[in-house]
Amino acid sequence: MGSRPPLNMKVNSSPFRGGLPPANRCMSVNSTRTAFLSAILIGGLLTLSFAGHTQTPQTTRGVIRLKVRYKSADATKELPRKRFFLIKGSLDENKSLADAIKQTTLGSRACYYRSKGASQRLIKWLEDGDCESVYCRAIEERDVTGADAVPEFKNAYDSALQELKTPEIARRWLPNYLPADLRDGYYNLKQRTVEALLKQAEALSGKPSMSIMTDRKGTAYLTDIEPGTYTISNLVPIETGKTNILWLCEREVKAGDLSIAMRRPFILSNEKDPKVKCEVIERPLPVCN
Amino acid sequence: MKRPIIAVLTIAFALAAIVAAQTRRGSRTNKPATQTRLARGAPAKYSAFLHSSDKHKSLACNDCHKIPTVWNAKRDFPDVADFPGHDACVRCHRPQFFSRQAMSGTGPVVCTVCHLRAAPREAARFAFGKPNAGDQSAKPKDERQFTIEFPHDKHQNVIAILQSLRLNPRLLRVSFVPDEKKGDYNNCTVCHRRNDELLSAQPLPAPDSEDQFRKFFKTAPRSHDACFACHWKNQKPVNNDCGGCHKTATTFVPVLMPKRISAKFSHEGGKGEHVMECTTCHINITRAASVRGLTPDVPIAACTTCHKDNKKTTYPKVVTIEEEFAQYKTSNACVYCHAPDVGSKKPPASHDAAAQ
Repeated sequence: MGSRPPLNMKVNSSPFRGGLPPANRCMSVNSTRTAFLSAILIGGLLTLSFAGHTQTPQTTRGVIRLKVRYKSADATKELPRKRFFLIKGSLDENKSLADAIKQTTLGSRACYYRSKGASQRLIKWLEDGDCESVYCRAIEERDVTGADAVPEFKNAYDSALQELKTPEIARRWLPNYLPADLRDGYYNLKQRTVEALLKQAEALSGKPSMSIMTDRKGTAYLTDIEPGTYTISNLVPIETGKTNILWLCEREVKAGDLSIAMRRPFILSNEKDPKVKCEVIERPLPVCN
Repeated sequence: MKRPIIAVLTIAFALAAIVAAQTRRGSRTNKPATQTRLARGAPAKYSAFLHSSDKHKSLACNDCHKIPTVWNAKRDFPDVADFPGHDACVRCHRPQFFSRQAMSGTGPVVCTVCHLRAAPREAARFAFGKPNAGDQSAKPKDERQFTIEFPHDKHQNVIAILQSLRLNPRLLRVSFVPDEKKGDYNNCTVCHRRNDELLSAQPLPAPDSEDQFRKFFKTAPRSHDACFACHWKNQKPVNNDCGGCHKTATTFVPVLMPKRISAKFSHEGGKGEHVMECTTCHINITRAASVRGLTPDVPIAACTTCHKDNKKTTYPKVVTIEEEFAQYKTSNACVYCHAPDVGSKKPPASHDAAAQ
């Protein structure tokens, strides 16, 4: 008996006739299979890569449609042009922040400007437009000249005219010639308070907060939000006639698109609503010293 | 044995290629444009002025520029409206003006930073703020040497309120004719005005009588006038603090004409019906902290608050999204809002969702 090849090795019976030796048949089947699988894998990867660039990704972010209104006397009003903040974490998780927000005292707009020596006409001009600074409305001819003129505006206009020469530009650029406190002192005070609270919020949650301003119907959209639980607040009380209101609310955000948010707004109100997890603090406006 | 190794290597190579392609795709968009540096001392180097050069960057703006330029010389409001005087250039670049090398040939090329030609009696200059380099007039893009920083959110906080709109209901219309005399209560239209010029630059359908009303989109402020009303002095950044709003860049091309998806939309509305406040539809504007990357997108859901079949009781004449879908089925085109470049495509999933 001669030596036999191992059982798992197939013997090529045909003699070698030069050229490249014939491939081992077993190896050939394995290689073909590997090459086939590789081709499928590469094809799949390329398809996925291409699809990733051409297709709109599935919605994995959330949207909140915020609707803010308040009841004052007998009427319910929408709250326009006010900024609200979205802070990562529940009310419990943000408890220290919520406490800081509640403890923050910011006097009223009228008290601030009165303390800075503003005339009654200037305070009324600001209140008429719900303005925190003189920048929020254009200063018109009648505000500068005539019986209803605001004294501060008139003085600033005179200074502006002396330097700028043109009455139209002097009127439009008038805020440049007002003392800083009377120009936007209250707004800046409020902003400093908000910024300090935001810093605290971001340190606590480790995530940047988001903000949005309500439109004239009290509606605002917070879009592209990572799903999770959030605190929604205005951070500093908002003046609404005779009271100011502070909202501290909690909302769970799920992945969904705008059309879902349109159907289900998140309503902030100063009226009790058991469906909404909100702490609403409404206080009468402080009396000026 | 070798073939499986080759197959594995092929897979690895394919994966590496995909990763590299993805990485390059991302970095390509962020890569800043670079400017070809000319050899030190070469005369041609001084024909192009760069605010971003190390020496120029170290100077304050008013080291060279007079702020404001001679009163009312170029504008109807105080502004930096002209090139600096000769002294500003000569005090550092004397050799580039007066050396023998500079005087040879067509004259000192440094003169052509401001002047059309380098000649002693050449008084004609380029328009200020435009060329700053001899060959720039031929550039197809409106390239600038400064970017603009504008925090929309802060300005919204300060200027925009409801009550002013109520006092002057005409401003409830999103659009307004700039030359009309009326009280300018501050909202978006303080800076953004109607821009009929865009009509000619957009891919438009054939004109029809209805398009006369389709006054298009908004301008962005193109001069300092709007800024200086508040930032001339005292309110930072003030007139001589250019860096408060502008950052040097070798080339910056402002987007003056953003891409329009709903090219046939009119702020005026077909019959003046679009009377909502700007941010009611442009829902992301009040959270935008910069104009960089600002997208004034209007989601279709904003449109379907009125343009929907179930709103017909409130707005009986409104064209609805359902009607447009029905029309698309017969004609393969959505024509009410879109020009053919967009309207001939299949409506996206967001439109289906909005119609439900």
